[in-house]
Amino acid sequence: MKLKLLLLALALLSVLAFAEVTISVVACSDNADSLKWLAEEFMKRNPDIKVEVTTLSWEVLYPRILADISAKSGAFDVFNWDVMTAGAVSQGCLDLFEFIKQNPDLVDPSYDMDDLLPLAKNLGIWDGKLVGFPYFNNTMLFYYRKDLFENPKYKEEFEKMFGRPLRVPTTWAEAVDVARYFTKSYNKNSPTQYGIALMFPTTHTMFYMYLIFFGPYRRSVEGLTRFGPVDLDYGDYFTADRKPAFASDLGLKAFEDMKALMPYSPDPLGSDYGETLEYFAKGIVAMVPQWTNPYLQFKSSPALQPAAEKIGIAPMPGRSVAGNWALGINKFISTEKQKAAFKFIQFATSKWADKEKLIRFAIAPVRKSTLEDAEAQNAIPWVKVLPSIYADETFRPRIPEEPRLEDISNINFAKILSGELPLTLDTLNKLANEWEKVLTK
Amino acid sequence: MVLPAIVLFLVMTVYPFAYMIYNSFTNLDLSKSGTGQFVGLRNYTDIVRDQLALSSIEFTALMVLIAVPVEMILGLALSYLIRGLFAEKALRSLFLIPMMVPAAVGGFGWKMLFNFIFGPINYFLNLIGLQSIEWFGKINTARTAVMIVEIWQWTPFVFLILYAALQALPKDILDAGKVDGADGWRLFLHIELPLLRPILYVTLLLRIIDVLRTFDSVYMTTYGGPGSATSTWSFYAYKVTVSYGWNIGYGSALCVILVIVSGILINTLTRVLNIGRELGLSKE
Repeated sequence: MKLKLLLLALALLSVLAFAEVTISVVACSDNADSLKWLAEEFMKRNPDIKVEVTTLSWEVLYPRILADISAKSGAFDVFNWDVMTAGAVSQGCLDLFEFIKQNPDLVDPSYDMDDLLPLAKNLGIWDGKLVGFPYFNNTMLFYYRKDLFENPKYKEEFEKMFGRPLRVPTTWAEAVDVARYFTKSYNKNSPTQYGIALMFPTTHTMFYMYLIFFGPYRRSVEGLTRFGPVDLDYGDYFTADRKPAFASDLGLKAFEDMKALMPYSPDPLGSDYGETLEYFAKGIVAMVPQWTNPYLQFKSSPALQPAAEKIGIAPMPGRSVAGNWALGINKFISTEKQKAAFKFIQFATSKWADKEKLIRFAIAPVRKSTLEDAEAQNAIPWVKVLPSIYADETFRPRIPEEPRLEDISNINFAKILSGELPLTLDTLNKLANEWEKVLTK
Repeated sequence: MVLPAIVLFLVMTVYPFAYMIYNSFTNLDLSKSGTGQFVGLRNYTDIVRDQLALSSIEFTALMVLIAVPVEMILGLALSYLIRGLFAEKALRSLFLIPMMVPAAVGGFGWKMLFNFIFGPINYFLNLIGLQSIEWFGKINTARTAVMIVEIWQWTPFVFLILYAALQALPKDILDAGKVDGADGWRLFLHIELPLLRPILYVTLLLRIIDVLRTFDSVYMTTYGGPGSATSTWSFYAYKVTVSYGWNIGYGSALCVILVIVSGILINTLTRVLNIGRELGLSKE
């Protein structure tokens, strides 16, 4: 009898063990904390599904996803991918439109696809297929030292020096004077060592930083007339007929704007994301263009207390750039795993999750309902400025060739900014030729 | 008995290498579907026209010409000067630490040391009245910084080999030298150094091979920038093959070229320096 009971218990245990589906999620470090927390919440509600989140840096994540897709190994079930890699990762991601059609029973009736912000959703669509649910609607903001900009002494001094009132810049030309005023080597009374923290290193950072300067020209009336509307797949770098738009006098102007600000920034060519965060968080600079999520770091920095009085947030003086992330499902895994993965990504992008991840982790929302939520607006100050930024932000190409174009550009842009290459139309045309070679290969 | 070892060798070494050579003649690109067709020598001819590949050669060559000699001189000096010191054993262990630190940790540490605002290096420069340097933001300083990291990490390797070699020199010859009146510097210059020559050459070869593969120090500090100023051949191959686009065909061609160049360089050096004879491996 005892033996029978023992065998029965063992059989039950093994049934339970096999009944549990484990899904593996690979995530970028920016999204990992929120995804880990959501995974815990998901497992509480779905005890039959175990979610494991692996964190990788951006430099490692993208090649890892491509390797997984190429080998069809199914090492990861859910990919957290940057939307600018849509063209490349789409070959290995499930079409969620089709999956929803085939599995209507899995769709949460309260999911509300129409609540997803249009651009965030569209950036996850490639070749008519929805290859990822929007997860993180990241965008660049202009952080500034509110206390300094509102200080009457500095306001008066600035007006004396430049003949106009001190205000948060709305164009890069305006930003130059302000940055100069807040740089100690140009103004010995400056409360900060440098005016602005810029990141122009030879990494992927350069590729999106250029767009916040080129964007205003590309999206201006002149830019739209000359280059045509911006294509969702090719982004602001291209003309409507898919030629490099930066190889123009407007592209040159963007570089001139970048160079004009460089003297007021600490080591712009040698600083990247981490360094510029530190410069602002430690009170070294008065302004910094940065993504949405560093806000929590700034908020907790001792040098920026009280945060509400010291940290100001405004739209970018030029144009912001989208840095969206999506959650996709590996199409080379079993149907059972695909279903479990779908449940998870649906949960992680639900209305409830969208608001929670915003409040807890400053993950910019992908839903209209979150943007309009009073609690969300009170929790994170930039929520109120997001709608205007989302309305006209620029974006990078999403075509499969993007990484190669990015690499060539990062190197050449750094050479232009350092003076190694002359800032001429000829230089930009040569770079455009390099792009053409990559695109026609 | 040796069959398993041979099979293992073939599977782990020969097959990947042969596969890389094969890939170098294809247009395999993991970011695009429908690639992998045979393209003949196109990848190789493209390299000749690739400015970024050429500038990677330039910095790799600079590393060989500057960092390696500095490592050799420093390693030799340290191994000579440390002998007989009161704290010889402690110093010996201390000198080896950089070599034992994982490259990623070392690189990150140096990145912080070189930080423009918060880095201790600029702090000390300011203390002595010099201006802060944008270590990673200017071509020459970035190149210097990468070389400093490389020299810091690998001088201990040279030191270790030469220190061991100095300990193992035949005592009778040294004693004979002393009897003939040689001492200190003269003993080192005329007896120890010539005796060290074979080991010096081998160390030099090992360091050149290693520098040709330099990757970690660049990856962790400058990421090849500013522009392509500190991009080494290995780093460029990594970017092409892994980091920026999974262009396996072209990246494989870059790797094959590196193997060929290393082979030719090492072979030439071996002949020029007559290493076979120095080591007593040939009677020429």
